[in-house]
Amino acid sequence: MSAALLQRLAVEDFLYSEAALLDDWKLKEWLELFSPTARYEVAPTGDPEAGTLSSADSLFLVADDRERLEQRVVRLRKPQAHAEYPHSRVRHLYSNVRIVADSDDRLEVHSNFVTFRTKRGFTATYMGWHRWVLRRNGDGFLIDLKRTVLDLDGLVPQGKVSLLL
Amino acid sequence: MVAALQSPQSYRSRYLWLDRERGRFLVHRSAYTSPEIFEEEKRRILRRSWVVLGHESEVRNKGDFIVRTVIDRELIFNRDVEGRVNAFFNSCRHRGTAICREPRGNRKRFVCPYHGWAYKSSGELFDQHASFGYGERFNEGGFYNLQRVPRIAERAGFYFVNFDPEAIPLDEYLADAGPNLDAIAEQSAVGMEVVRGCHEYEIKANYKLICENSYDGYHLELTHSSYVDYMRTMMRGVPVSEMNIHGCARSLGNGHACFELEIPTGRPVAQWLPVWGEEAREAIEAKKRELETRLGKERAGRIAVTNRNMVIFPNSIINDQQTVLLRTVTPTAHNRMVIRAWSIGPADEGPILRRIRNEGALSFLGPGGFATPDDVEMLELCQRGFETSDIEWNDISKGFRSDEQTLHDNDEHFDNELQMRAYWTRWEQLMSAPERPV
Repeated sequence: MSAALLQRLAVEDFLYSEAALLDDWKLKEWLELFSPTARYEVAPTGDPEAGTLSSADSLFLVADDRERLEQRVVRLRKPQAHAEYPHSRVRHLYSNVRIVADSDDRLEVHSNFVTFRTKRGFTATYMGWHRWVLRRNGDGFLIDLKRTVLDLDGLVPQGKVSLLL
Repeated sequence: MVAALQSPQSYRSRYLWLDRERGRFLVHRSAYTSPEIFEEEKRRILRRSWVVLGHESEVRNKGDFIVRTVIDRELIFNRDVEGRVNAFFNSCRHRGTAICREPRGNRKRFVCPYHGWAYKSSGELFDQHASFGYGERFNEGGFYNLQRVPRIAERAGFYFVNFDPEAIPLDEYLADAGPNLDAIAEQSAVGMEVVRGCHEYEIKANYKLICENSYDGYHLELTHSSYVDYMRTMMRGVPVSEMNIHGCARSLGNGHACFELEIPTGRPVAQWLPVWGEEAREAIEAKKRELETRLGKERAGRIAVTNRNMVIFPNSIINDQQTVLLRTVTPTAHNRMVIRAWSIGPADEGPILRRIRNEGALSFLGPGGFATPDDVEMLELCQRGFETSDIEWNDISKGFRSDEQTLHDNDEHFDNELQMRAYWTRWEQLMSAPERPV
């Protein structure tokens, strides 16, 4: 197998295990996949340039640095995070994984996703793509950036992004 | 006169039940659950009230336009090439096509994609894309110009529309809510602007529930306890001596109301939070000095620290907290609504304060934040409770005094329920009055 193919398989394995942690609500373990300087973002809906906007000058849905991401996880594990109590059932499907930039220590990866969230008899579908910046870490990776770009005009009918996309 | 305020001890109608002796103020749940009442309130209230359309900064340049839904009408909100701000129905006068298909942009003319009828940005029909078949006098008197919403007016940079040609002037309608809008505009000498990005989300609940929720101080501690926990970590470094909270609620006339809160949680205009760092401190102090020079120390001091959540009856919400958040509420059914929210800040705000504004806005107020998703959940649980029980009445009695003058009153507690009583008193008045024919 070519080195490029092996690399893509390694990235896919990493992303699939990331998705599995979210599907299983293993949020503390999920957090460990992120680097100390990581960002987790959900870009504004309904903006054709959402993939390249900056949360410094645009209103994002989520723009967490490492500290706020930790607080997000702390919150989601409490019963007082009402929107996710009891936890919804979530299923993340990732596909079309492409390594779009590759340097010595970092990879930029684009992938498509569909995530289903079911709670109280209502299933919401979230779809779009992810921009990942992965930092090499021994045999594996750490996430420097996970940006979610939704292919939605708005959160209608989804209502909220209480889950992690 | 407002019947509910006239009766000394008790009052009971189809919608309200006041028992002053027992300190009870109740709202009938059919007002949240009945499709027929929803149709009636669209006719009697929503289409006859001033409803916020947008902000002047969204159509700053000649030709700028935005397509926006207000209540159940899709409008083109634009600034024409003469500089005039307009609101047109987004429908071709010929055969009805929604003319504008992009959500926003800049155009000198609007051309219908179906048969090519072309309108100037002022709404005037100037071409039907037809070399024959129409007489000279066809558009006499502007008969086929884009149809304007009957009323449009501006206060402090906010544009409002009203579908009722007979409506009272906006300033009179806003009553004491108007000066609160002025205070927002005063945050900047060069004007305020809408930050790029919109929070749009559906809530499966009656639209009045988000109005109640937006200025409900009572639910903060419990519904948002996990946000309060987060805020505590963000408030590290705030001296204990400054951890005071002052608040009150005010009924502003015509069903509008707000609560006001001083709480040291930080504001880009202009209250520093230690966790933001020294660079931010300098930027915020500079902003505060600018306010003081322009407005005087006393007024500047109040603007800098006052958080205010306000509902302009019946469905325009303006929260002045971590940012100025404009929320419009589009009811799509008796048990469904779409919220659209924009963050507004000084047009000359520097990058440090703009970043703080954006982060404050999304961490608390947005549908991906630490608080709003739980509000969405609570409102949907309310609607579910209404629709799956036989209980008839909702309670909004907290702080109800026997001598309360609900439409013009103050409460020294921000976490009583005067705000909602003002809303419902006005709502009931409009729903019970003899209906004026259209």
